[in-house]
Order: sequence, then structure tokens, then C-alpha cells
Amino acid sequence: MAETMDTAALAEVLDPRIIVTGLEAKGKEDVFRDLADRLEAARYVADADSFIDAIHEREQQGATGIGGYVAIPHGRSDTVKRNGVAVAVLKDEIPWESLDDTGAKVVVLFAVGSDDEGSKRHLQLLSLFARRLAKADVVKSLIAATDVDQVKAALLND
Amino acid sequence: MKIVGVTACTIGIAHTYLAQQKLQDAAEAAGDQIKIETQGTIGIENALTDEDIAGADVVILAVDIKIADEDRFKGKKVVRVSTDTAIKSPNKLIEKLHEIVSK
Repeated sequence: MAETMDTAALAEVLDPRIIVTGLEAKGKEDVFRDLADRLEAARYVADADSFIDAIHEREQQGATGIGGYVAIPHGRSDTVKRNGVAVAVLKDEIPWESLDDTGAKVVVLFAVGSDDEGSKRHLQLLSLFARRLAKADVVKSLIAATDVDQVKAALLND
Repeated sequence: MKIVGVTACTIGIAHTYLAQQKLQDAAEAAGDQIKIETQGTIGIENALTDEDIAGADVVILAVDIKIADEDRFKGKKVVRVSTDTAIKSPNKLIEKLHEIVSK
């Protein structure tokens, strides 16, 4: 797979309206609320509350903290009108169930609709983000990001 | 060493692909050849061919759900773990595959 093509495609998905840095949160619920509201305001989801319910459903199935201070909660729901990825870089680490017992400093929230028609390409893009988050250097730059441009750079650079 | 495998998680959006990348990076760091098929929401990607499977020394299944066509791996050495294990300790897992193959 050509990396340059990936990067162009990923850039298209990264929407500054649903990226936040320096977020002050006491726990995961604060992060869900902030990002769900942003997703609603940017019309990715029709109803933030329903979307938070969908996130909770996934949270109950097991840890979404993938280690290295990164959490990737996700919700799949009819309320998602447009697939998207919201990113919160947190001011301080918060508790989060994770694979390596670290908390979360970065939360990458995937919003995915229930309707598969026409969304396959978009889902492919989301899968590219998941792959990026497997890279230690990507995670390191992401945690250090202090503005939206740095978040984008962290996720787009190889 | 040649490794093939499949990753698949319950929702099929994130862990499937994270596990794939972690396994690929760990195997390449260990000097192995690896090909990992993903079975996610978008269907099957990077599908393993019959030749891939025939040529593999070992099969790694990092899966949280029942996967499609598991009987392809009949007769091969198969190691099954959760996607969490592949994401958390990919290097250890590749080491374990080496042990199993050298037995």
C-alpha cells in the first residue's frame, strides 16, 4: 500500500472541529461528553446522548486503553450519520482501563454508523488510524501535541 | 520464519487493525516474514492465499470472535490468542511462535 496515498486519505478524515488539545477532564465520562458534543455540533452524530450509550456498550466488553497512555473507545450506532474520528489530547492523565495499567493521555474516539452501505471506504480510513496508533513514535508525538496542527502532523507523519 | 495469521475483534473497527500492525512490526523486527489477514467491519482484507498458508511455518490467530474459514489452517501449527495479547505483548508473542516452530 502506498504510504503517500494513505496520508492524503487520512488528511481528508482529520477534521479540526472534532480534535481538541489540552482538554481538562476528570475521567472518561468527561471526555465522552466533550467529544460526543463536538461530534453532534459538527453533525457526525444526530444525538450525543445516544452516541455515548453506544460507547458505553463497547466499554463494557473490555478495556479500550491499548497501552502507552492511549485509549480508543468507539461507538457504533444509528445515530452516527457520518463516520469520523475525534481526538482529545488531555491536559492530565486520567484513569482508564488499559492493557498495560496506564491511564489515558490521548483519547481517539471512532464514530461509526450502523449502515454499511457506502461507508466502506471511510471505514478503511479509520482502520488506517488504528494501524498508526500501533506505532510508538506516532503515540509519542500525539501525547505531546498542543494544538490541532500538531495532532494532525502526529497522525499523518510516518 | 514465515508467519501467517488473522486478526479479528468484536466490533471490527480498531483492535483488529492495531493487532495486525503490532504483529507485523514485531515480526519484522525479529527478521520474520509475516502476512496478517484482517476480518473486520469492512470485511476481509489482505486475504491469505492457499500459497501463503502452505508456505507458513506457523499460524497466529489473534481473534476475539469466530472467524471465517478457520479450517484453512487444519494441519498447521496454530497459536490462538486474543487481540489484546497481540497488542500488549507482540514481541513476546513472536518469540513464542519461534519456540513453537523450533520444537
